[in-house]
Amino acid sequence: MAVQSDAMAAAGPYDRAKALSAFKLGDITFYWITRACAISVLLILGGIILSLIAGAWPAMKEYGFAFLFTQRWAPSADPPVLGALGPVYGTLITSIIAMMIAIPVGIGIAVFLTELCPQWLRRPIGIAIELLAGIPSIIYGMWGFFVLGPFLANTFQPFMIRLFDGVPVLGAVFAGPPSYLSLFNAALILAIMVLPFITAISVDVFKTVPPVLKEAAYGVGCTTWEVVRNVVIPYTRVGVIGGIMLALGRALGETMAVTFIIGNSFRISSSIFAPGTTISAAIASEFAESDGLHQSGLILLGLLLFVLTFIVLACARLMLMRLERKAGN
Amino acid sequence: MTDLSVSTTSPSAAIPQKSLPEAPPKVTARSLNFYYGEHHALKNINLTLGTNRVTAFIGPSGCGKSTLLRIFNRMYDLYPGQRATGQLMLDQTNILDPKLDLNLLRARIGMVFQKPTPFPMTIYENIAFGIRLYEKISKSEMDDRVEKALRGGALWTEVKDKLNASGLSLSGGQQQRLCIARTVAVRPEVILFDEPCSALDPISTAKVEELIQELSENYTIAIVTHNMQQAARVSDKTAFMYLGELIEFDDTSKIFTSPSDRRTQDYITGRFG
Repeated sequence: MAVQSDAMAAAGPYDRAKALSAFKLGDITFYWITRACAISVLLILGGIILSLIAGAWPAMKEYGFAFLFTQRWAPSADPPVLGALGPVYGTLITSIIAMMIAIPVGIGIAVFLTELCPQWLRRPIGIAIELLAGIPSIIYGMWGFFVLGPFLANTFQPFMIRLFDGVPVLGAVFAGPPSYLSLFNAALILAIMVLPFITAISVDVFKTVPPVLKEAAYGVGCTTWEVVRNVVIPYTRVGVIGGIMLALGRALGETMAVTFIIGNSFRISSSIFAPGTTISAAIASEFAESDGLHQSGLILLGLLLFVLTFIVLACARLMLMRLERKAGN
Repeated sequence: MTDLSVSTTSPSAAIPQKSLPEAPPKVTARSLNFYYGEHHALKNINLTLGTNRVTAFIGPSGCGKSTLLRIFNRMYDLYPGQRATGQLMLDQTNILDPKLDLNLLRARIGMVFQKPTPFPMTIYENIAFGIRLYEKISKSEMDDRVEKALRGGALWTEVKDKLNASGLSLSGGQQQRLCIARTVAVRPEVILFDEPCSALDPISTAKVEELIQELSENYTIAIVTHNMQQAARVSDKTAFMYLGELIEFDDTSKIFTSPSDRRTQDYITGRFG
């Protein structure tokens, strides 16, 4: 004790203001570092957009808005004719079909895992889902090419054609010569690829539902389905929709697997079993050999994908806001 | 029902308590035991909830009061490893029957929890939701039922202008009354209250207690509480539980004035618990 107070006396009077100002300096530095980190995101985003616009400028000037509505893609014609309708259509259709499959299955798995699954089965299924997320996309592409493609072409499509033969609209959706490479094949692979996102996030948010809230719902006599439908999902809707959007973002932008199995045809066909292309697949398969206006057109496609993703995210936000208003928040 | 429960002399009570005639039994437990896995949580419980009577369950934390309540509506069924043995009857229905329709049972035996549990939907939907599970009725009839339920929960005047607001936007006390209204809306026969006021302020507590008294005209009520005065105020019969056993079960006035068991006396006078 005595030694300590001696040491303090020797150090002179304790300058409180000085000590505090040192802390303050640290605080200011910290503030600026974190601020710089946050701003760098904006800078990178802005830089990417600017360079995309710069790269796409020649094509924009050449084709204008017609680029959006032209189906023909003939880069080697003279002068080259480029239109984005095919890739945009392919991107939207494959993503929509993929989400139509992945959302119910993904949420279904999440509900099973959190509400119904016996304890011993929980871990194996959970791990399997995580592994699904870890498989590189090129593996999915190969599997789609060598396994799923032949199955779809030889078994599934003839079956669907027979089932819907003569039915208006649906008949045309499934018609056409069987092909290993098709929009539907790509959509299926996409569905499998995005499934883990939806499931993992849904499981996490479902676990945040307070047990007592579920008990209360069971307490008024709900079945498990009613509890999930009316309490668990509304309670967690923000998280679930977040997961779906993450998955949709991945589906829109996925390149490698899709390039492998979609067939890279710019023609729009009514059949989902026909080959098609997506924006990212078109860029990946042509960018290396492109130059001049062709390359600029591909960059413009990339810009379109950017805008498309942005619109999807904005729609998701809007939908969330409307849901909240409906729930009275 | 005569196991433990008959009291002949009602001692001059410091707490004014109506001395009611013995009610016909609504829920009857005979040699009821409950296990959390290996842990023997309730030991040989025998008691009767009288029809349209309020029965309070008191005892120190962990004595099994809430556990007992959760057997009445089979809530324990949601969790693996929990099981009950013995006999538990709701009128002529065996509650422990594994083939029993649980949804129907829980419609007959409603429950209000310790923390308010409004569903993530509007005030109106919170009530209508439960009704819709059992009945298909028109919009106007539903409006009527929702109003009636909210009046039953002593909440109507406070929320009638904001039925489309979220149930979560209400204050804690209002949320709890919403939960009571929701429970009443499905027209149960028995209502279980698991410490319904422990998260509420004194004014809300008084309102909920008043509500419980009103409800007891039409419903059989079981209430778990840590608040001795509350048990004395609202209940007709009181059960004192300790370490998973039912120590004493008698008229509330008797329990609080001249308990027959030493441990009951010690607990209500605050010597332990």
